[in-house]
Amino acid sequence: MTMKQIARICISIFMYLGLIVSIQASEIPMLREQVQSGQLPPMQERLPIKPRVIDFENYDKTLGKYGGDLRLLMGKAKDLGQITVYTYARLVGYAPDYTIQPDIAEAFVVGDGRDFTFKLRKGHRWSDGHPLTSEDFRYFWEDMVKNEKLGKKGIPSQMLVDGEEPKFQVIDELTFRYTWEKPNPSFLPALAAPSPLYIYRPAHYMKQFHARYVDKDELAKKVEDANARDWGALHTRMQRQRRPENPELPTLQAWRNTTPPPSTRFVFERNPYFHRVDPEGRQLPYIDRMIMSVVSKDVIAAKAGTGEADLQARYLQFSDVPYLKRGEKKNNYTTRLWSLGKGSQVALFPNLNAKDEVWRDIIQDVRFRRALSLGINRKEINEVIYFGLAYPSANTVMPQSALYKPEYSQMWTEYDKEKANVLLDEMGLDKRDPDGTRLLPDGRRAEITIETAGESAEETDVLELITDQYREIGLKIFVRSSQRDIFRRRAYSGDTLISVFSGLNNAVATPAMNPEELAPTDQAQLQWPMWGQYTGTNTKAGESISMDSAMVQMQLFNQWMLAETDKERERIWHNMLGGYADQVFSIGTVNNSRQPVVVSNDLRNVPENGIYAWEPTSYFGIYKPDTFWFDR
Amino acid sequence: MSNSHYVNDKPFDPKSVEVLTPEQEAIYLAPQRQLIWWKFKRHKLAVASGIFLAIMYLMTIFAEFIAPYSVDAKNTDYVLAQPHDVHFFHEGEFIGPFVYDYDKSLDLENMVRVYTPNKDKIIKLEFFCSGHPYKFWGLIEADNHLMCADIDQPVFLLGSDTLGHDMLSRIVYGARISLTIGLVGVTISFALGIIIGGLAGYYGGWVDLVAQRLIEVVQSLPTLPLWLTLVAIMPANWSQITVYFAITIILGLVDWTGLARAVRSKLFSLREEDYVLAARLMGASTKRIIGLHLIPGFMSHLIASATITIPTMILGETALSFLGLGLRAPAVSWGILLENARDINVVALTPWLIYPVIPVILIVLAFNFFGDGLRDAADPYG
Repeated sequence: MTMKQIARICISIFMYLGLIVSIQASEIPMLREQVQSGQLPPMQERLPIKPRVIDFENYDKTLGKYGGDLRLLMGKAKDLGQITVYTYARLVGYAPDYTIQPDIAEAFVVGDGRDFTFKLRKGHRWSDGHPLTSEDFRYFWEDMVKNEKLGKKGIPSQMLVDGEEPKFQVIDELTFRYTWEKPNPSFLPALAAPSPLYIYRPAHYMKQFHARYVDKDELAKKVEDANARDWGALHTRMQRQRRPENPELPTLQAWRNTTPPPSTRFVFERNPYFHRVDPEGRQLPYIDRMIMSVVSKDVIAAKAGTGEADLQARYLQFSDVPYLKRGEKKNNYTTRLWSLGKGSQVALFPNLNAKDEVWRDIIQDVRFRRALSLGINRKEINEVIYFGLAYPSANTVMPQSALYKPEYSQMWTEYDKEKANVLLDEMGLDKRDPDGTRLLPDGRRAEITIETAGESAEETDVLELITDQYREIGLKIFVRSSQRDIFRRRAYSGDTLISVFSGLNNAVATPAMNPEELAPTDQAQLQWPMWGQYTGTNTKAGESISMDSAMVQMQLFNQWMLAETDKERERIWHNMLGGYADQVFSIGTVNNSRQPVVVSNDLRNVPENGIYAWEPTSYFGIYKPDTFWFDR
Repeated sequence: MSNSHYVNDKPFDPKSVEVLTPEQEAIYLAPQRQLIWWKFKRHKLAVASGIFLAIMYLMTIFAEFIAPYSVDAKNTDYVLAQPHDVHFFHEGEFIGPFVYDYDKSLDLENMVRVYTPNKDKIIKLEFFCSGHPYKFWGLIEADNHLMCADIDQPVFLLGSDTLGHDMLSRIVYGARISLTIGLVGVTISFALGIIIGGLAGYYGGWVDLVAQRLIEVVQSLPTLPLWLTLVAIMPANWSQITVYFAITIILGLVDWTGLARAVRSKLFSLREEDYVLAARLMGASTKRIIGLHLIPGFMSHLIASATITIPTMILGETALSFLGLGLRAPAVSWGILLENARDINVVALTPWLIYPVIPVILIVLAFNFFGDGLRDAADPYG
C-alpha cells in the first residue's frame, strides 16, 4: 500500500466522519438521540420530498434556533382546541395576504368552481411516521361520512350544494378529487377555517376502531374496555381532530398532545414529521414543546403580568394593558397592541324574532334600528373606554379589508339625537311618560332589557354609556347578564329583545370568503336566530324569513353561492355590505380596538403588529407559530 | 286573747334602718331606662360609635345636600382621576381650602390617563352654596350643597371611577341603600323572630315543636345558593325600589331564626323565675305577666342582638352586590361600587376605587361596638 493510497483512505474516512458530523449538526437537538439510536430516521427522511418552504424574507422573519418551551395560559380544558387554531396546519390555508394557499396539500386545482383536485406531498407522514395518502381521505368519505353508524349527523353542510353531495374520486396514491354539479365556493374557505372541515383521518390508526376492518369480538372487547356505548361512540371519541384529546391519535399539526385529559397542564411535543421547513431547509417548528396550563380565566391577566406566559392574548383585554405594562421590565416580556379583527368590538343585536309581538313590530321597523344606531355617541365610547385608539364604525368590515368602503362603516353612525328622536316620533312612539320615557302603542313604557353574557368589564362600561345615551332618545335600558348558554338560549327562543355581543367574526374579508354572517344562515346570529336556524337546518327547524330586507340578504347570499368568478362574488359582497349597513341589522360601536398580546422578550418572529381575529387569521395561526423561536 | 308579741303602734318605715341621701335615692329609685343610659354612657367606645352611626344615618337622609354631585352626574373627560388633594396655602399665602385643577394627558405608552395638578389653576372650595340642581327625596327642587363644584371643572375628593363619576358622591348616595337595607331587613327578621319565637315559647308543646323544626330547616339552607336562586328569578325590569325590597325581604327571611330561638329560650327561662311565680301567686293574669314582667326582661337583650344583626345584613347586601347578584347599576350601593374593584387593575393602579370598603368596615365596627355597649347596659342590675 503506497502512501498515496493510505492518504486517500484517510481522506475518505475523514470526509465520511465529516458527513456524519454535519448531519448531526443540522439535526434537531431534541431528536438527536432518537435519530442516533435509530428510533427515528434523520431529518431529510422525515420531511416530504417537497416540504413547504416558509417565506421568511417578506414577513420579516429571522432564521431561528431549536429548543425551548412555549408557555400558554388557558381558561378551560375545552381550550385544548386552541392549539389546533394556533398552529394552523390545514389542507389549504390563508396566507398573510388572505389568499388561500396549499399547505398540507402540495397543490390544488379548481375547475369551474365545482371540481376540486388535490395533490398531496410525496413522503409526507403522520406524526407516527405512517405516510399520508389518498387512503386517509377515502377513509373519511367512505368509512365515516357514508357509514350508516358514523355518518348519522349527515354530510357536513359545506360539502352540500343545494342538498347535493360531491362525487369523490381517488386518482392515485396522492391525488384525489371532489366534484359537484354546481359551484361550491364555501368548500375551500371551510378547509382553511380556524375550526376547519377535516376531510381526512389517519386511516391506519382509525381502522382499529371501525367495524368494517376489525373482527366483531375484538371490537366488542375494545368498546367494553373503553366503557363506550358502542363502536361508533368509541370511534368518535378516538378521532377528534379539533380538540386533540387522544395522545395516541396521529396528527399533522406542528405539535402533538402528550397529556390525556383531564389535566390542568397539557404538554405538546414537536411532531418529528412536520411538513414545513425554513428557507435553509431546516425542519420546523423551532420550539420543542408547547405547555398549556389551564387556570381560572379571572387570573390570566394577573399571571401574564408576572411573566407566567411566553405568548398570551386569549383572555386579556384592553383594560388590562396598564397592569401588563407595569410588569414588563421585571418579568421580561413586552405587551404588543394588535388590532382586534372584529366587525365591532361591542355590538347590539336587536332580535328581529322577538316573542313580544309589539316589540317585534317595532324592531322590524328599520327606523327603530336606525334610531338606535344614531343614538349612540361612538366618539364618547371610543375616548372613555378605548383611549380614542379605536375607529367609530358600524358593525362591518374594517378598513384593512379589500372590501371596505367608508360608507359601510359610516352609514347611520353619526351621533344625532334629534334625527333619532324624529325617526322614533314618526314611528308612532311619540307619547311619553313624565320622566321622558316613550310609550309603546299598547301603553307600556319603552323599557328594553339588553342581555349580555357579561364576560367583560369593557362590555359593561359600554352598556352603561349607551344606557345614558338612550335615555336622551326616550328609551329606558336595563342590563341583564346571564351565563353564556342561558344568554344564547334566551336569544334563540325570542325572549331577548336586544342582545350584546361582539360583531362580525371576519372583518378583513376578501370576495372569496363566505359572506354568511351578513345573511340569516345560522341560529347563532343573534339578530335573526329563528331565520338563521331555518336556513341552517335546511328548513327543518326555525321560521321562514318574513321580512323583505332580510330576504334580500338571503337571496344575495344564494347568488354568491352560485357565482363563478371572483368579480361576481365581489359585486355580491358589496351589495350585501351595503344592504346590511343601510338596514342596520346590528348596531356597531367601534372596531379596530387594541388587543394586548404578551410576548416574551426572548421570543422571535412574532409580528410587532398583527390582526388578532378568529377568522381568517386563526388568532396566531397565519403568523405561523412554528417559525417562532427562543433567543436564549 | 292576750298576745305576748310587742307591736309598735308607729307606722312602719322601711327606710328607717338605712336613711338615703337624695342622691342615693335618685339612683336607687331610678327607672330602668335611666339605669341603662347611665351604664351605657360609661362605655366610651359605644357612645362614640353611636354618635358616628347617628351622623351616618343623618347623611343618608340629606345625601342630596351632602354629595357634591348628583348620583348620575359624570364627566367623561375625567375618567379614573385620582383624588384631588385639598390645600390651604398657595405659595405661602393662606386662601382657604382649595384644590389644583388637573392637566389631562394620555400616556399612550402605558395606556393610562395622567392627571397632573396645575399649580396655576386653583379651584376654591365653596361651602353651603348653590350647585348641581337636584330633587330632594325626589320631591323638592333644590340646588343647595354642603360643598359645590361644577361638573365641567370637577373636584373629586375621592377620585373618579371608570366612567367619570365622583366617588365621594356615589359613596354618600350608596349609604342610602347600604345603611337602610340593614334596618329594614332587621325589622322584618325582628317581627318574624318575635312572633314565631314568642308563640313557641308561650304555647310550648306542638307549636314549639313545629317552630323548632321550621327554624332548623331554614338554618340548614345554604344561604349563598339560596340568595342566588331568589335573585336569579327576579325579573330584570323590576324597578330599583322593588329589587331593594325584594333583597331586604330575602335577607330578613333568612335571618330571623337566630332571633326566634333567642326569644323562645328567654321566654322559657324567664317563665321559671321567682318573680314570675310570685306574680302568678298574687293572681296576675298570663297577659299581664308576659306584657309587664317578661317582655321588659328580654326586650333590651333583643335590641342589643338586633343591633349586632344589622352589620351582617349590610355585609350580606355588599356581598350580593359585589358578586353582581344583588342590586344592579344604575342603583348605587357600596356593594355595587365595590363590584368595580374586582379587577386586578384596580388594586394595582386605581386604589381609590376600593375606598367604599372603608365606610363598610367603619359601619360594621361601629354597630358591633354599639351593640356591645347596649348589651352590657341592657341588664343594669347585673
